Amino acid sequence: MSGPGDLPEAAPRRLESGSFSSGLTVPDFAACLQMGLRPVGLVQGFCAMQWGWYGAGSPYMRGMSPYAAPGGQGTYLQNWYCPHGFVSAEHRSWGQNYEQTWVEDAWLAGFNAAFGRMVEEAKEVGAHGIIGVTDTSRPMPETNIAEFHVLGTAVVVEDGPPPPGGEPWSTYLAGQRLAKLLEAGFMPISVIAVIASVRVWAYCITEWLMEGGALGWGQTNQSTQEIEQVSEAHLAVRALARDHARRQLGHDTMHGTTVWTSEREVGSGDQVLECTLRGTRVRRFKDFDPMPAPRPTVRLS
Amino acid sequence: MTDSPAASADPRAELAAAARWLAGGGQSPDERATTSDLSIDEALLLHSIGWEPVELVFGASVCSVQTGVWTWGRGELQSPSDAHNLAVGDAAARLGRECASAGGHGVVGVRVDIEVHPRHVDVALVGTAVRPVATGKKVGHPFVSDLSARDFVLLHGSGWAPLGLAFGASFVYAPRRDAGTALRQASQNVELTNLTEALYAARETAMERMQTSGLRMKAGGVVGVQVTEGPIRFARHVIGFTAWGTAVRLAADAHRHVRPEVVLPLDDAVVQFEAESLRGR
Repeated sequence: MSGPGDLPEAAPRRLESGSFSSGLTVPDFAACLQMGLRPVGLVQGFCAMQWGWYGAGSPYMRGMSPYAAPGGQGTYLQNWYCPHGFVSAEHRSWGQNYEQTWVEDAWLAGFNAAFGRMVEEAKEVGAHGIIGVTDTSRPMPETNIAEFHVLGTAVVVEDGPPPPGGEPWSTYLAGQRLAKLLEAGFMPISVIAVIASVRVWAYCITEWLMEGGALGWGQTNQSTQEIEQVSEAHLAVRALARDHARRQLGHDTMHGTTVWTSEREVGSGDQVLECTLRGTRVRRFKDFDPMPAPRPTVRLS
Repeated sequence: MTDSPAASADPRAELAAAARWLAGGGQSPDERATTSDLSIDEALLLHSIGWEPVELVFGASVCSVQTGVWTWGRGELQSPSDAHNLAVGDAAARLGRECASAGGHGVVGVRVDIEVHPRHVDVALVGTAVRPVATGKKVGHPFVSDLSARDFVLLHGSGWAPLGLAFGASFVYAPRRDAGTALRQASQNVELTNLTEALYAARETAMERMQTSGLRMKAGGVVGVQVTEGPIRFARHVIGFTAWGTAVRLAADAHRHVRPEVVLPLDDAVVQFEAESLRGR
């Protein structure tokens, strides 16, 4: 499969069979019917991606100079310089934190391909929206291969027009949570999933502190230091992920965001940090209308 | 907002109207995008007291622990205790600064993620900056709270205000028993006072530090305290105790009593009705 418009031959036949399938629980199913959302099919998209950033010509390596950016560098780059002058050829006289755009691009290519295929299936059944979306990405047995799987329930809005441009809206919500979102005055637009990746090439101070060293002569274990380069990387990777999400938002709201971060140590002080954000882009369609202040209750059972 | 669908009690009509509005090219009335990790229930609750989410904000800090401190010794291990307290303090300060620059008045629902490694302590804080609806005014020192939006609404209703994250940690050596004592106690049911005393020492120091950090904020108390305690994974002879919660003060003239209504839910979870009582059982 190379892109949209290439659903397996069996898929349209299955989707046109006349009966629907859905990933909704029975309470969610009932809540959707109550709202006028009719499920028309369980739609899915898959993509297996091979990461190809290792090897000759890869921008994986640190820049050759502390004054030049590494290839494929994004919006984040910070250099750190050794205060000791020349010590030895092995001494880490400079370090760098930078955004690994090639990692982000590869992840997004996989996610977007799987998501696009799910949307294509939804269009095939004439859906107006996709609710209860779930997505997973996991490594496959071979090295550097990841599988993306996106799944949701395609729905039609009873008495509603098709969405603009025929592109179904989508949301991670379903059932009562979706009903409450609409009650609050928000219409789902699209799911948003983004990743940010930051590489830390430690300079001498970071390497020393990450290995349990202390700064300054004669310092005892009474002293502790913040490892500034690593702290900055932790902040940057999260802020980058948020910025990537904001770029897809326009003036809308990203609701119910989940944040997932990972760190992998790849050497003395060297790390790869990744942060994934997932949430639903929603648009306010009616004025701010707060519900009455809730009444506190105590259950007798 | 012009051309927006009118509020309707009928969910079907409301959804159809919203879909027509979207199909007609309806655009957001908001001037700025908002990000939030609140659930829809939490967002609605915040709206009910006139507050709104502004931005998903982060704070993080990694502090070094000197090599060799996890070996045998006596008393408190100063380096990891300091590293923990410094890392949480720095991360909370950064979270507050992010909140202030986003125009928030405070951060709610902060998730506290602390990892103690042999040579460094990592702290990451994630929460949602909130503010009173349509308030452009920025505040210099926003509060940071690990209370959920629901707890924040309840606290607000009772006349209390969150001030910040109060925290404390302590790591203490559990001294070895001498060989004779260990042999004597080998077949006895006996309290290991060395471990009990280490737990008490770590607890007292950590709790005192947490209360001191609350007092520095001029708090009346700390609510929602969470504690972790026990031997450290990679140094079983060291007892760690960490405690954190939200420092609060009375903002109203007096505490406002919440008088909950007693309810008896009728949605019994029994799947199948069994008329046992009809048969006299």
